[in-house]
Amino acid sequence: MDMWNLLELAAWGASALFGLFIVIDWIRTDSTYSEEILMSSREGELEAMTEESHRG
Amino acid sequence: MAQTDTTEHVGLARVLGPAHVWALGVGIVLVGEYMGWNFAVGKGGAYAALMACWFAGILYTCVAMIDSEVTSTVAAAGGQYTQAKHIVGPLMAFNVGLYLVFAYTMLEAANAITVGFLVDTVATMSGHEGGLDQRPFIILSIMFLAWLNYRGVLATLTFNLVITAIAFTAIIILFLSTSGILGMGEMNHAALMSGQAAMPYGWLGVLAAMHFGLWYYLGIEGTTQAAEEVRSPARALPFGTLAGVMTLAIAATLTWYVCAGLMPWEYLGQSGVPLFDAARLSGSTFLMVLLGIGTLFATLASANGCINDASRAWFAMGRDKYLPGWFGAVHPKYRTPYRAIIFLVPIALIFALGAPLDQVITFSILSGLLEYTFMPLNIILFRRKWPLDTIKRGYEHPFHPLPAMVLLGLCGLAFFAVFLGYGTQLVAMIVFYIVVSLWFHFWRYRFVNRGAQFTMPWPKPRGY
Amino acid sequence: MARYTPPTQGKLGQIIDVIVLLIMAIGALYIPLWMGLAGSAVTSAAVENPTWESLGQNETMVAQWEKLGFADAASAAEMITARFDYSFSIGALLAMIVVIVGYYAILLRFSEKEYRDVIAEKFED
Repeated sequence: MDMWNLLELAAWGASALFGLFIVIDWIRTDSTYSEEILMSSREGELEAMTEESHRG
Repeated sequence: MAQTDTTEHVGLARVLGPAHVWALGVGIVLVGEYMGWNFAVGKGGAYAALMACWFAGILYTCVAMIDSEVTSTVAAAGGQYTQAKHIVGPLMAFNVGLYLVFAYTMLEAANAITVGFLVDTVATMSGHEGGLDQRPFIILSIMFLAWLNYRGVLATLTFNLVITAIAFTAIIILFLSTSGILGMGEMNHAALMSGQAAMPYGWLGVLAAMHFGLWYYLGIEGTTQAAEEVRSPARALPFGTLAGVMTLAIAATLTWYVCAGLMPWEYLGQSGVPLFDAARLSGSTFLMVLLGIGTLFATLASANGCINDASRAWFAMGRDKYLPGWFGAVHPKYRTPYRAIIFLVPIALIFALGAPLDQVITFSILSGLLEYTFMPLNIILFRRKWPLDTIKRGYEHPFHPLPAMVLLGLCGLAFFAVFLGYGTQLVAMIVFYIVVSLWFHFWRYRFVNRGAQFTMPWPKPRGY
Repeated sequence: MARYTPPTQGKLGQIIDVIVLLIMAIGALYIPLWMGLAGSAVTSAAVENPTWESLGQNETMVAQWEKLGFADAASAAEMITARFDYSFSIGALLAMIVVIVGYYAILLRFSEKEYRDVIAEKFED
């Protein structure tokens, strides 16, 4: 058991932490906001603004 | 601007400047100077690799010019995918979107594999015995970068800017200290490239070297993916992209000069980490550590940019229902396409942990090549449907249609170069795209809104 | 022309579509591998008792090989004699050209058809 074995374990642990953060935040976001808001981005907004109002 | 009406509307955040665009473009590609380009030396010798480097440089200059013109007008996430949708048609757009996602996800996997290999090498050099399990390091690099991307684009690309700058500086320092400009010169180009070593495969080798010559620049066109997050796309994108190509042409030439002057071509053509080897040959511990760090940073910067670009393309296709609409969501707080980012993590892991490196790289190069072949078709149709006086462009590329023709010709050469040795993959790949195209045309396209997917405020195209 | 209203796709349909796409992509990568058709042909000539001279290496090259950790000619011989095989048949080349050109022809044709609908609907009013 030298430093490199410890680093291996640390890498597993850190990977799990990052993964956990992403998954928890994902679940929380999906349950907090309505699908309508999450899906509300429209392509080319900068340009479309000046031209016409967004289509729903 | 998009941010003003967040109550009913969540879009990607417009926060990036030209330096971020440069970092995104160069960051993805710079890893190519640290590993991979030297297989071009193996395919044709050192001179052939230099010629391939310059031919590829011309190819990418055309790519950057064409791309800049179209992108300065079509500024939306999805980059070339959105361009194709507006200019060529939906099926082309679907294919281009897939080229992007696969080219970048495969490159990301290749980078993660390299990180694992590098950690293993360092462990062995430091006297660790019994080998190292590379998997946790491969997974960690992907998870960490996915997390960074998930948390917001500004931090992601600022991180990229810093590590790309360090990796680029490392190449410059290596060049300065080995070329004789600062003291000890150790270059032996004449002796190392004499006799049989000059052109071991003749001119056919030059052609064949084009295959990996692309690796010097592959991915620079990804700058367009940031279009919806750049503060002033019409200015920042052309500037960042063209500056990126120049940076890479310089870095590629320096890299070639240093490596070809230090190593016999037979070794160089098969080396796993050529710049690190060059530092090793210089005998300086400082250079060795520096280039080791440079290699690590370059791979991370590349994987980071790949996650960014692949997820934008996947997101944009989801938003248009080219792919299941679920992926078209934006995180309300971090303003990132979070579902696309999450989905691509396991995909990258499957390839990073399961597939051999050269397969993954070839898959990536081929997807890129198909994309470059699309670009001349794109610009020719763009100029035909909307001549210069009909839409205001942020940047107009000169000498049209010469760059398009040159690009098409060079793509043909590159296809032939890939065919020399990797013909089966080439055919398998295209058969895949044909099957997917039929699937899209006859099944998937029914879920797509027809007129609404055309979002640019342009006049009606000529001829319709 | 009537506006086209696309059907909404359910959760299950979305999942199935993603899986189909994945199977096709992974297939394209792994089928050449399984069939043993992948990779480039590299051959090394076996040399009996190689010397640096017989391998065509000059003094400078030898010095660099030694610095790289190859103490004698025998250890580097395999690396030095490795060569790609670039021979190919005209038939295979023609097949490749047909596949690539055919692919782009299909793409442009179908795209054009779909594009005309898009433009017609977008600019109908």
